[in-house]
Amino acid sequence: MIAVVTLSQHFAPAELPGAVRAALGKPLRRAAPLTRLALAGALACLPAECRQRPTALLWQSTSGPRLETLVLLDEMRVDGEPLPYDFLATQPAIAAAQIQAVLPGLQSAMHLPLDSEGAANWSLLLALAVGWLADGRYEQVLCAQIDHWADAASGHWLALSRTPLENSSLRLQLVNKATGDALADTPDLPARLADWLASGAGPTLSLRSPAAPRLAVEFARLQSTRHRHVRIRF
Amino acid sequence: MTRPVYLAETALLCARGDSPAAVAGALWNGECSAGQRRLGERTFPYFGLPLAETDWMRRAEQAIRQVAGQLGPLPAETPLFIASSSFQIGHFEQCGKPFDLPVASASFSRRIAGWLGLAGPRASFSNACISGFSALDAARSLIGAGLMDDALVLGVELANDSTLAGFAAMELLTRNLGRPFDARRDGMILGEAVAAVRVSAAPASWRIAGLRTGLDGHSITGPNPDGSRIADVTVDCLSDAKMESGDIDLIKLQAAGSPGADLAEANALRRIFGQDMPPLLSLKPALGHTLGASGLVELAALLACLDAERIPATAGFAEADPEIALFPMVDRSTAHVDRALLNLIGFGGGLASLLAERRP
Repeated sequence: MIAVVTLSQHFAPAELPGAVRAALGKPLRRAAPLTRLALAGALACLPAECRQRPTALLWQSTSGPRLETLVLLDEMRVDGEPLPYDFLATQPAIAAAQIQAVLPGLQSAMHLPLDSEGAANWSLLLALAVGWLADGRYEQVLCAQIDHWADAASGHWLALSRTPLENSSLRLQLVNKATGDALADTPDLPARLADWLASGAGPTLSLRSPAAPRLAVEFARLQSTRHRHVRIRF
Repeated sequence: MTRPVYLAETALLCARGDSPAAVAGALWNGECSAGQRRLGERTFPYFGLPLAETDWMRRAEQAIRQVAGQLGPLPAETPLFIASSSFQIGHFEQCGKPFDLPVASASFSRRIAGWLGLAGPRASFSNACISGFSALDAARSLIGAGLMDDALVLGVELANDSTLAGFAAMELLTRNLGRPFDARRDGMILGEAVAAVRVSAAPASWRIAGLRTGLDGHSITGPNPDGSRIADVTVDCLSDAKMESGDIDLIKLQAAGSPGADLAEANALRRIFGQDMPPLLSLKPALGHTLGASGLVELAALLACLDAERIPATAGFAEADPEIALFPMVDRSTAHVDRALLNLIGFGGGLASLLAERRP
């Protein structure tokens, strides 16, 4: 069985450094907003006793480092050469290296930038995660959608584990054909899963992705645990 | 992983040629000259594509259509996995202010899919220098699990000033030659390329026997000098392939001529192979470091070399570094290679090892 924790976080961009400081217990210096969002979400998903376990991070983003890219392009136009930190801030891959310092079990990370507004690739992330957990490659896989815009920052998370986490509310499996109610593959999937959990409707819910018809994912309620979806809004 | 995944077909456009076979021939002949790219008052060596078009987007289309033309017909529903570290930033540089960035950061991938005539599932991967192997890892995982049968994995890294300037600002580039593992190495040379690898459940000449990615958080610009994390990933890859270090016939190094990363890679290899070091080869002095495309570029080039049984010498290596004390091949070889290990060490801490095995 693969247990799932859902998490959705929303921040005003100016409040993000403070939220990360609260989660870490110290300031996180010289980190791009996407890194801060990833760190805040990863720490909220995994309690301290789970942070040494072999873990992978699969994260997608619509915005990517949009604001940082605009800064870089402007520096290039004006000065012809960016400040090193401003270049680093446009490289989302470096987020994982900074997260590993507080999540020592993080063994691998994959960043998937999205190519269409309003669409996501959760079905792909979850299919990879399920396969890697089944193969024993990792004990936990964190799947996330992280976006940072001028006026809002958000992180939507599904933490998958071979052993139930303290706050698991769902189990997940790949199925040949989705049955029952289905969700579309959109960036806020974890929030909509939480809404479904809270509504008490139906025993299972599927993720439908027209782009990947053979990647059917089915969620089912865990009977023995309370629903503990976490939605944080600052 | 329930079934093997094969490397069914490759295509390549880079500074050394316009097909894998042409690139293999150029490598065998020792071609390694680089062009130049100007950045303000400075000039850096650079491995550019031989395309005359100056409009960035039209040039990108030419490059990608050229690579697509090397492949056999692809069904429109073929899944497409695109790897890049810079996507279309060169286009925005050229268009100038106001920079019209699309809402979705990888929107360039939609355009690429259109040029390729592919309308199936599509995903983009941006993991700095290991992007290509991350994409290959995802495709292999899904094919291995039976969730798809074929996929096209495309690496795209095209010229732009932002990347060059960023690497220059961090003093990671040489102004001279790429010298992997050499005592005089002082940085890497960047390049541009497009490479495609079609992976399939259908048997082909080579299979992906092992593939693992990893992470070294020692520093965001370089791995731990002791090589321990790099070694962990290579050991995981060997384990995935159910092989021992003694099974490896050839290692395609990451070695780009970087003072720190080359040393870390050497230390990692010594941890695994000890005194029984397989032949070592670096392709970057002849192709440049093509960043997000590099894994696929070097895989396509290497398989063409191995198919021709003509393994090139490593350009740029002449004087051993006593701290590294490993020696890339300086003579060409016609040895038959059945198993080749390919290493990537990425900017930002990404690591990857792939083990390609020839089908008996």
